[in-house]
Amino acid sequence: MKKYLLFTLLLGCVVMTGYSQGYRNHAQLSQKLKSIESANPGLAKLQSITKTAGGKDIWLMEIGSGDRAIHPAIAVVGGVEGSLVSSQEVAVGFIEKLLASAQKDSVKNLLVSTTFYVFPNMSPDATEQYFATLKYERSGNAFATDDDRDGKLNEDPFEDLNGDGIITMIRVEDPTGKWKAHAADPRVMVMASGDKGERGNYLLLTEGTDNDKDGKWNEDGDGGVQFNKNHPFDHPSFTPGSGEHPVSEPENRALLDLMHDRPNIFSVVTIGPANNLAEPFKFDKSKTTMRVITGILEKDAGVNKMASDLYKKYVNTKESPAAPPSKGDFMQWAYFHYARMSFSTPAWWPGKFEIPKDTVGAKKFKTNDDKNTDVEFIRWAEKEGLDVFVPWKKITHPDFPGKVVEVGGFRPFVKSNPPEKAIDKIAETHTKFITALGYAKPDLDLINLKTESLEDGISRVTVTAFNKGLFPAVAEVAERNYWVKLLNVSLNVSKDQTVVGGSRVTVLNNLQPGESVEVSWLVKGKGAVTIEGGAPQTGFKKINVNL
Amino acid sequence: MKKILLTLLVFISIKGMAQDAAGVFRAAGSPENPKVSIAWNRYYNHDGITDICKKMAAAYPDLVKLGSIGKSYQGREMWVLTITDFKTGKPEEKPAFYMDGNIHSNEIQGTEMALYTAWYLSESFKDVTWVKQLLADRTFYIIPTINPDARDNFMKAPNSMHSPRSGMVPVDNDRDGKVNEDGFDDLDNNGSITQMIRKSSTGRFKKDPSNPNRLVQVKADELGEYEYLGNEGIDSDGDGRVNEDGEGYYDPNRDWGWKWQPNTIQNGAYKYPFSLPENRNIRDFVMAHPNIAGSQTFHNSGGMILRGPGVEEDASTYNADDSRIYDAIGKKGETLLPGYKYMIVYRDLYSVFGGELDWFYGSRGVYTFSNELFTSYMYFNKQTPDDDGDPSEAYEFNNELLFGDAMVPWKEFNHPQYGKIEVGGFKKNFTRADPGFLLESDAHRNMAFCLYHAYQMPKLSVEEITEKSLGGGLTEVTAVIKNERMMPTHASQDLKYKIERPDYISIEGVKVVAGMLVQNRDLNITKEQKNNPAVMEVNNIPGLGSVTVRWIVSGAKAYTIKVDSRKGGVVSKTK
Repeated sequence: MKKYLLFTLLLGCVVMTGYSQGYRNHAQLSQKLKSIESANPGLAKLQSITKTAGGKDIWLMEIGSGDRAIHPAIAVVGGVEGSLVSSQEVAVGFIEKLLASAQKDSVKNLLVSTTFYVFPNMSPDATEQYFATLKYERSGNAFATDDDRDGKLNEDPFEDLNGDGIITMIRVEDPTGKWKAHAADPRVMVMASGDKGERGNYLLLTEGTDNDKDGKWNEDGDGGVQFNKNHPFDHPSFTPGSGEHPVSEPENRALLDLMHDRPNIFSVVTIGPANNLAEPFKFDKSKTTMRVITGILEKDAGVNKMASDLYKKYVNTKESPAAPPSKGDFMQWAYFHYARMSFSTPAWWPGKFEIPKDTVGAKKFKTNDDKNTDVEFIRWAEKEGLDVFVPWKKITHPDFPGKVVEVGGFRPFVKSNPPEKAIDKIAETHTKFITALGYAKPDLDLINLKTESLEDGISRVTVTAFNKGLFPAVAEVAERNYWVKLLNVSLNVSKDQTVVGGSRVTVLNNLQPGESVEVSWLVKGKGAVTIEGGAPQTGFKKINVNL
Repeated sequence: MKKILLTLLVFISIKGMAQDAAGVFRAAGSPENPKVSIAWNRYYNHDGITDICKKMAAAYPDLVKLGSIGKSYQGREMWVLTITDFKTGKPEEKPAFYMDGNIHSNEIQGTEMALYTAWYLSESFKDVTWVKQLLADRTFYIIPTINPDARDNFMKAPNSMHSPRSGMVPVDNDRDGKVNEDGFDDLDNNGSITQMIRKSSTGRFKKDPSNPNRLVQVKADELGEYEYLGNEGIDSDGDGRVNEDGEGYYDPNRDWGWKWQPNTIQNGAYKYPFSLPENRNIRDFVMAHPNIAGSQTFHNSGGMILRGPGVEEDASTYNADDSRIYDAIGKKGETLLPGYKYMIVYRDLYSVFGGELDWFYGSRGVYTFSNELFTSYMYFNKQTPDDDGDPSEAYEFNNELLFGDAMVPWKEFNHPQYGKIEVGGFKKNFTRADPGFLLESDAHRNMAFCLYHAYQMPKLSVEEITEKSLGGGLTEVTAVIKNERMMPTHASQDLKYKIERPDYISIEGVKVVAGMLVQNRDLNITKEQKNNPAVMEVNNIPGLGSVTVRWIVSGAKAYTIKVDSRKGGVVSKTK
């Protein structure tokens, strides 16, 4: 018996290792990150920045060598949306793959001067639902919220009516229902369109009962506040999951505090629902003329285009659907309030389906006249051999005695998360992109140093401050934001020397990519002086000069 | 026995004589012999506030309880006084009025207004019937200072009447990577940061011939003698700028979780809503006390009774129903506070995103005013032509009523960067803070305004219970719940977003067959509540109005009807 147990345990380990390509629960994530840290001394540093209401660590992996705090940095943030469990794996894949190539010269040189702050999962309370006995797409943390604001907490959760361990939908035959089966695939439910003279014949509800008899189904279950709805830009106040005010949750606060304490961050890459890498945000003047701007500024739109072009070098975006940002989300906060260039991608999207051209193949499919995306998705998935749909099956439902009630619908997670076997490839392409973004960082150099000796021991020292990167030193949105530092170019002299011309400290409001500014001083006295220049987000340079 | 009685009589009369011996005679409306003696013609730092709070709590254990809502950034306790008649009901079951002061650290007198209110209520309880009833009906949560760190900095460190305003969390204002490296310098070492001026042939100012301490602008065609160089200070970090990065700077009143915007849109915002520890403490306190129905914050100066919205973008939040209530209280304030004007922040003052009063109303549905304490009207009880800056009345008042105490006369100083300059001007305790002899009067009037507001919070009662037999052991019980005051249990903002749960009206002690809300009693129009009819849920109990509920019950002998409202309190009646 003992032997058998041991064997099972061993087998379990083997299975676990095999599973490492797939999705990890929080314990597995923590274990993985710890082992990466210990395998990469001097390059990777792991810390927990806070614990969630559910007691789970929010991890930060810092990657880079030397003094990471003064190197230009990119923050990579996964798990902003709890149902997008794959985003954590893309972030972990990035950590692994970047470190795996850290001894290659190109990456080694990058890590000497660039820092990556990776937060693999901002919604660990929610993503854990993927691994729970009852699986459903969850976005909220473990903080008990009164989602329907009726004074009672979590009084109407989902119920697994068919006992399959996942939450899908129920449909109820009812002449007052607004839903009907789609013509091309009767499994897919669509809203009947009154404009087209259609009438519905189904009620469509989430799987469960109306526990509190308020005429709403499952409107107030477990959790919580959603990380990606809890930010102050365009906060959707008083809607479920948004929090009683922006930044109400410990994980949101810890991340925002930490980012404010890291002025070296020049860009934020979110693995989340919105996508401004497949299609960059466009400049729309009408959104930028009010005092509260709601659209990207003109110069920043150019930087977004540059990053998007870079993305498309590595990631095929042809089939990516439009994915606009949402109210109170993190990626818009990172641009509009944190004032750094902010990029976001879901990293994966389902492919497109085309009805086969041959007549035999074509006969199997009715035309999807209104290009319904659910019909498209189910056809694509079945072609790929993926099981994404639970067939409708009759049950008896206490809320609908005597009525035809069926449970079924799309399995949770399948629409927004790739099959586990696809993760590695996605992580690889995104690692290439984020690495390339690191190379494109704002990069201050001090060039064309010239010293001229004038009469009577006075020297003129001239230097050019040059941004050799592809990012501006200060994004346009940050020009008036005191959380983004300005470039300083200063001349340090000893007490035997005097600066008789020029400003000891010159503050440059900005340097666009490729832009340069000449700075000069007149110094009385001989000996060594140093010129220092930079800002945390551009890196610092120092030149020793002998007069 | 007789002897003991005699001794007792003697003792009592001695005590009575002692009062006479103190030589006091009651002035109308003021406690003549308070248990806690406080001078109201001076200001108190955090130690002074702590001492007063402790004394009040010790003197009136049944009226005053002292607690802390948490610690400030530098670790000072943020005191809260809970004031109510603890012998008549639980404090959390009475509608509560919240009051704080001093969010802007240089705006000090809000603290004394708040302390005076606490003191007056506790000391007047036994003598003034109206106060006694008020404390039976209401709870007051009073936080004398919500910026204790910078209050002490204002008093103890060199500051002007305008600084620090911020709290003490350091900020890199000039974005050079260093924090607080170039603040004020108290050149004349007197604790006040005053002005620096310099003789200049191209200056556009001159000394006012009738009051040489005052610098006035010369006419367009007139030659000037002086130039302004700003607040006392030197270029400490050698970057060519003076005083560009001192204590703070952020504005604690741009840090609240309603329509917040970052510092690019309005200077003063810190990191994100509730990014400051002091404000988080208040948020936690307010969220934990949903009985707060009215609130007041104190600022200075200018004589304003302010309400939101803070910005035009938020104008639609304040709708007509709530504006009527605001207007009624605000207009009353103009009567009680001569020289003060009732104003709307964005329309009559300036824009404030993420201000405290908008959070209280927008996010919590609590009617809230901010008073800008002290006005130049109070110099000579008449409107000055210009309330901004330093009108000539301020100089006359200083000369004739304060005998020059508020002024530092010009004095020459050798400045490392500017050379020979003159330093002088009003001290930090003048032009914005109430002068000593006006402080108690201003405090009393502002308190009276707050008490009117607190009085108008909802006051609920079970007005009427009627029974009608339906036969077969069934009885119809109809109850009318009345709100005797102006404010509803839910402001319209509260109703719109369901900020607080509905009011519960329950019947206990009988078997409930059905429950319904009576929409029109005369025409017998009702709406049944199918789920849990013993606890009827009503969305609101309107101000100076009522709601009627009805149950069909069996076994109606003795029962209790209880009203449980978050902002209206808990009341019950047994039949």
